[in-house]
Amino acid sequence: MAKPQAGQSQSALPWRWMGERGLRLETGAVTLDRYAQLVDASFEEIEDVIPADGSILLILKPGVPPPAKLGELLAAPPPRLPERAAALHVLPLRVTEDASPDLALCAARAGLAAGEFVRQFTAIEFTVAFLGFQPGFPYLAGLPGHWAMSRRATPRVRVPAGSVALGGSYAGVYPMAGPGGWHIVGQTDAKLFDPARARPALLAAGDRVQFEVQS
Amino acid sequence: MNGVAIEVVRPGLCDLVMDGGRPGWARAGVPTGGAADQAALAAANRLVGNRPDAPALEIVARGPQLHFPRGGVIALTGAPFRAARAAGLVAGWNQTLVLAAEEILRLGEPAEGYRCWLAIRGGLAVEPVLGSASALPQAGWGGVTGRPLRVGDRLFSHPAGGGVHLLRARPPGVESAAPLRVVAGPQASALTDTGLANLFGGCFRVDAASDRRGIRLTGPGVAGKAQAFPTQGVLPGAIQVPPDGQPIILGWDGPVTGGYPVAATVIGADLPRLAQLKPGAEVRFATVSVDDARALAPPEWLVEDWA
Repeated sequence: MAKPQAGQSQSALPWRWMGERGLRLETGAVTLDRYAQLVDASFEEIEDVIPADGSILLILKPGVPPPAKLGELLAAPPPRLPERAAALHVLPLRVTEDASPDLALCAARAGLAAGEFVRQFTAIEFTVAFLGFQPGFPYLAGLPGHWAMSRRATPRVRVPAGSVALGGSYAGVYPMAGPGGWHIVGQTDAKLFDPARARPALLAAGDRVQFEVQS
Repeated sequence: MNGVAIEVVRPGLCDLVMDGGRPGWARAGVPTGGAADQAALAAANRLVGNRPDAPALEIVARGPQLHFPRGGVIALTGAPFRAARAAGLVAGWNQTLVLAAEEILRLGEPAEGYRCWLAIRGGLAVEPVLGSASALPQAGWGGVTGRPLRVGDRLFSHPAGGGVHLLRARPPGVESAAPLRVVAGPQASALTDTGLANLFGGCFRVDAASDRRGIRLTGPGVAGKAQAFPTQGVLPGAIQVPPDGQPIILGWDGPVTGGYPVAATVIGADLPRLAQLKPGAEVRFATVSVDDARALAPPEWLVEDWA
């Protein structure tokens, strides 16, 4: 007698369900390539595509099953994005005592003097891994591994809009004032999100970002 | 616009303008938001002759006192709040109400449940942000600069054509004591066996620190296997389990990404029930399959002629 194949259909799927509308794809290092491919494919059944840290969440429109062609698309690796095609945004960075309350701590963690930390920080070309937390909040990948900062034990009640901060292995920018637990190293005047703009979020997953100290 | 439709005499606990929300902006970090029970919003709007997702008021826990200088055609759906009109007129639920000029509607607390919706003929006139009039307090968008109503706020409505039909609506029969139905996963395996047993077998209570961003639960510890978890995309109804073992059901204005494992997700058909969970309410979970969840469409309202 053949062994029952319990759960086979679920484990054979290239995604895991989050409710009946969320499909979580494990995408690892090719998250941005897969994200670009899924956005391009613009399946009728899919309401949104949320890239994140090594995974993508597809959100189906209410009441519809996954697109018939999705399994086929996911069976092959996504096409590689051209290396230099992504937009490069240079964001102004203000570094002062008031604008950079956690600079000393972050520099110490990185084993650098504050000035050298800022010099190295502004030399990094970041990649926008994904947006989340607040409208337009970018998770910027590219920090040296040993700069990683755990979140503040007690989040600040109000982080000003434009704060450039470090959290975990990411840098980020707060588009709006609000509570936050990341370590603030400076301020930018760049407007990260403006619903009145044709493209409300300044940055998109895959874009490149560099900071430039304002003189 | 039509002149002042509603003037706030006394605000409720948190009265927010809500419509169909902002689906499709999650990739930019924007929650979908919108009325916590889309079917109840749609019913209120149909009772006054509006399109189903027209902007209306979402009222929670303790209602406002509202002045209607020109009178108006309104409808209330959702949790039955204590309500009073001038001269002993009845402010009935789930029916078209015609208010005289200068009438004042006083809403108190709900006899049961937590939220209700007040639609006005023509729909509230609010400048949309990303295609929606829904208030998003943390961003200051929609409604009245995104915030709850205050004393003296004036709301406008769009002009409406055609005659007034007196209608009534029959809400779907919902068993409020039944467990919330969930699809297990995607990270149920991040829980210990005891944690899993507690999540699916335990009884939780809604914590007072809950709001439209998340419904916080207290109850038997839902222990995880304690490891760092990478940030992932999430959606309303997802049940996140932080290291303290007290689950959070993500709400309509919740973040689009989260850094805690999602042990299960409340199915679409039961999301409207989350809107009626007040602090202290009991919550249990029961698992269903994805196919069953999709087949269980949100419960339907019937709208019919009344007079």
